[in-house]
Amino acid sequence: MPTLTDMPFLLQSMAWPLVLLLAWFLGERLHEAWQMPRVSSYVAVGLVASLFNLPGLTDAVPGLPFLANVALSLILFELGYRIHLRWFRHNPWMLVLGLGESAVTFVVVYAVSGWFALPTDTRLIIAALSVSASPAGILRVANEMRSAGQVTERVMHLCAINCLVAVFALKLITGYWYLANSGDLTLAVFGSVHVLATSVAVGVLLGVAVPALLRAQRIEERDVTLVFALAVVLLTTMAYGLKLSPLLAALSFGIVARERRVHLTNAQRGFGTAGDLLTLFLFVYIAALLDWSELHTGVWLGLALIVARTASKVLCNVAAARLSGSTERKGLLTGLALTPMSAFAILLLEQSRQHGFEPAHQVLATLAFMMLLQELLGPLVTQRALKAAAETHLTKA
Amino acid sequence: MPLETFKSSQALTLGVELELQLVNTYDMDLSSSANDLLELLRRKPFPGVVTPEMTQSMIEIATDVQTGHGPLLAQLREIRDTLVTAGDRLNIELAGGGTHPFQRWFEQRIFAKPRFEQISGLYGYLAKQFTVFGQHVHVGCSSPDEALYLLHALNRYVPHFIALSASSPFFQGVDTLFDSARLNSVFAFPLSGRAPFMLSWDEFAHGYFTKMESTGVVKSMKDFYWDIRPKPEYGTIELRVCDTPLTVERAAALACYLQSLCAYLLERNEPPPEEDDYLVYTYNRFQACRFGLDGTLVNPKTREQISIREDVLATLRRIAPHADALGAQGALTEIERTAARDGNHASWLREQYAQSGSVQGVVAAAVQALRGPVN
Repeated sequence: MPTLTDMPFLLQSMAWPLVLLLAWFLGERLHEAWQMPRVSSYVAVGLVASLFNLPGLTDAVPGLPFLANVALSLILFELGYRIHLRWFRHNPWMLVLGLGESAVTFVVVYAVSGWFALPTDTRLIIAALSVSASPAGILRVANEMRSAGQVTERVMHLCAINCLVAVFALKLITGYWYLANSGDLTLAVFGSVHVLATSVAVGVLLGVAVPALLRAQRIEERDVTLVFALAVVLLTTMAYGLKLSPLLAALSFGIVARERRVHLTNAQRGFGTAGDLLTLFLFVYIAALLDWSELHTGVWLGLALIVARTASKVLCNVAAARLSGSTERKGLLTGLALTPMSAFAILLLEQSRQHGFEPAHQVLATLAFMMLLQELLGPLVTQRALKAAAETHLTKA
Repeated sequence: MPLETFKSSQALTLGVELELQLVNTYDMDLSSSANDLLELLRRKPFPGVVTPEMTQSMIEIATDVQTGHGPLLAQLREIRDTLVTAGDRLNIELAGGGTHPFQRWFEQRIFAKPRFEQISGLYGYLAKQFTVFGQHVHVGCSSPDEALYLLHALNRYVPHFIALSASSPFFQGVDTLFDSARLNSVFAFPLSGRAPFMLSWDEFAHGYFTKMESTGVVKSMKDFYWDIRPKPEYGTIELRVCDTPLTVERAAALACYLQSLCAYLLERNEPPPEEDDYLVYTYNRFQACRFGLDGTLVNPKTREQISIREDVLATLRRIAPHADALGAQGALTEIERTAARDGNHASWLREQYAQSGSVQGVVAAAVQALRGPVN
């Protein structure tokens, strides 16, 4: 029996599981009733929880950011595992589209953010983050709808390119910031080049080692999932210790692991039930990170950025659709499906902040409204786009 | 609507249809991408015909009317190359094989075409379990009575085609121990099996078909899923028992084996077909499905048991002169190699499973096989 003095601690400990349970319940009910993407419900519950400022629901609790990074790293690994490098060789337009669209989005968002009184480094960071698309939102929605087809395939590949470009851009900006503020070249190189190169290297190393380990002896499908999941946890731990980017490392790990597989027994989609649990946590946690008191400040900026970012992604995809073997309609839907952008961007920022990159905190506050809208509605847009493309399984019984 | 008149066509001309699997490059599961692929293919002239099939994860290709093995194979290769190139642009793989080794039928999407929706509504899960992939070979017949004669004269050779083409040992993730698990799905349909024994078109069209139509069970020949069925609008008989082989080379060889066999049968040196031939028909067919070339068939005339492999090799010797006349020696060589040495594609797929240890590995091997010859 807990004594009365333990009660605050007990309440604090219970807040998380209870909120997660509520989020799960709401996610299932709303999905059933209106086919609302489950992740949107998770975000909504997280936001409400953060409004009430429930004890224990802050990033002050050690371990939670790590858990969130593990959750997102698992998703990035899965995304990487879906990337088919040979496709870019057979259809170079996909690569051109991905890189070109990233560049255009960066420039457009940077330009639009100039209408608001923001320092240059903030604008650069905002531009870099806007390039990214949320692998968590997109993969979850696609898996939930059992989506398959050209739009789905393209959204996955473009999302991976977007995320890679976003990480690279952000790290370079970080390096530039260190250089400009401290004049310390070593620090600058450490903050950017080292993080990028070593993260990729660690991911590649595991991507070669784990399949080799799996090849050495025959392993059941369930266990393959387990081995890959543990490898991702290991990777995240290493990234924390070495101050690397766990997200970049996990994405590289996934991409290389796919290329190296010899017998094709696969990880279960979404890492099964454990993956579901971690995703549930991830979305509630990310939403709980947003500060309500900051929401009202960035409303117009948020709306302007969302319009600019969406327009850039949609127009680039429409422009390259026919060249890359698809149709304008599917290009439009691909662009729209890339709308979600939060979990990845927020964790990326959080991580930079923990590594001493001061502007990160201000950017998070500035972008709070944009993040909120994207997180809440982005998955819905993705879902509707995939449905409109007739790529979801639930079209016809 | 009465059965349309049988349009006479040049005897022994050939047309080949192949149902092919669309597979994703990620985990080798079926990919519902037919619309995307067809959209891309529409932009350039296609060396044949390509059409959507029952589900989004299948497309059907058809050759023009062909007379010889060389041009048939050339066209099939051209079709294959066009498809593979288009698939590469869209990150879709193509594969032969009578079944997808581990797809789950309840996850397949049915094409939004009225006829398919109607079939899906009528047959329920059978329609989705029907996500199986076959090769259909049309043989031109100069008259409807010739068509019915050939259709029934071929009855004792049907096991050859099942055994030689069998490429569906895996279904729903397990080795079924059948060489052709696909045919088990086909047999579930109420109007599958053999055609009724009639040698006169008049009797067939105005007797049998009219009576069947008046029952309301069928509306057209399309509603029959027979192993061999007449196709009056083309003036052909259509052999439907073959699994789609893993390679177009095998597909062309099977078609021309049939062509040479028909040429031989049309000389009418064998005793004519009769209803009693069908006493052993389903037994022989089961043997071929289950054991492939190692199966045993009962000769309906002599009642002797003989291994299907032996029977194929003996038949090859009998029809060799006709193959020479038709320019189909290459096809017969491939069939002989299959029967005597290499085995059918079902056994090849089992070897791939043994090597890779996974059904995904089996699909990956099938994908590679379509791109270039395997054996």
